[in-house]
Amino acid sequence: MSQETAVQQQKNVWDGGVSPFSVSYGKLMMWYFLVSDAFSFAALLITYAALRVSSPWWPNPNEVFSAFPGIHKPFPLGFVTLMTFILIMSSVFVVRAVQEGHRMNRKGVMFWMFLGIIGGAAFLGCQAFEWSHLISEGMTLFNNPFGPEGFVHAGHHSGGHEMPLGPRLFGCLFFTITGFHGFHVFTGVLINCIIFIQSARGVYDRRGHYEMVEKVGLYWHFVDLVWVFVFLAFYLL
Amino acid sequence: MAEGHQHLSEEAYKSGVKAVWRATAILAVVTIVEVAAALYLGDTLGKAVLNLLFILMSGIKAFFIVAEFMHLRYEMRALIISILAPTFFFVWFIIAFMMDGASWGSLRALWN
Repeated sequence: MSQETAVQQQKNVWDGGVSPFSVSYGKLMMWYFLVSDAFSFAALLITYAALRVSSPWWPNPNEVFSAFPGIHKPFPLGFVTLMTFILIMSSVFVVRAVQEGHRMNRKGVMFWMFLGIIGGAAFLGCQAFEWSHLISEGMTLFNNPFGPEGFVHAGHHSGGHEMPLGPRLFGCLFFTITGFHGFHVFTGVLINCIIFIQSARGVYDRRGHYEMVEKVGLYWHFVDLVWVFVFLAFYLL
Repeated sequence: MAEGHQHLSEEAYKSGVKAVWRATAILAVVTIVEVAAALYLGDTLGKAVLNLLFILMSGIKAFFIVAEFMHLRYEMRALIISILAPTFFFVWFIIAFMMDGASWGSLRALWN
């Protein structure tokens, strides 16, 4: 009897009129957008993996990523660890904004969202430093100064062997993947700014809920999630 | 969370805040361990063990971000499955493309 009732109820849930997943349409679609975006990032990172596996030699991340502003001797992985912490903390601040939104606390949402925006902007600043440092060392889309010894860079055919495809593409992969991620951070900061302004103008108080903060928060955490795998692929493995 | 955006009780709010800071501490500790292992354990553990450790720890970080920060563990089971099921394609993608990459490498070595 109880089983029959359960089946009956389940059928009713999918009959329309209610949300079977008990989330709003917007939140569900944000989740599915993030699933599709995960496939975009996976395509880039798996390309990196395939090219790296095909190459007998690969630049050592502890040597490539060893610059830290203000410290003149090599400090391997120091700067990227700082960047990771900045992004995690920014993500935490946005979670706190979402939680304050559940309580309809406009001041709380604005305070934590402001900190989240600062964190995102700080991450972008760090990335600008890292990029300009690597470019100043000669890394471009088609050039990799950290290549195997005895190989000349692409375009120079006098003496030495031409660098094999895999290591030559190191710079291309780095700038494409961190660039795509950085673009997500950039748009995330912009959208967080819009949420901050709309909260300040009382749009969500008039609407009666702060669900928009939650949807944008999902996007912001996804950016943090992707960074976990970018960090893994480029700096750790 | 039947309505998605109903107002929370004080206890639920407090336990939510606590869960978030706990997840933050775990993420911070795992990141520090990862970087320390990359810098100091490379020679002791060997590259293969170290890489396995990095992948496991990144999985832990991904779990806490998705489960706690993105709040997925508190959603309905059907929703969780509909989001996580497609990501299992990655398992095959990674195996297939890395095998392909290894094949490009051996073909190039053969021709050179």
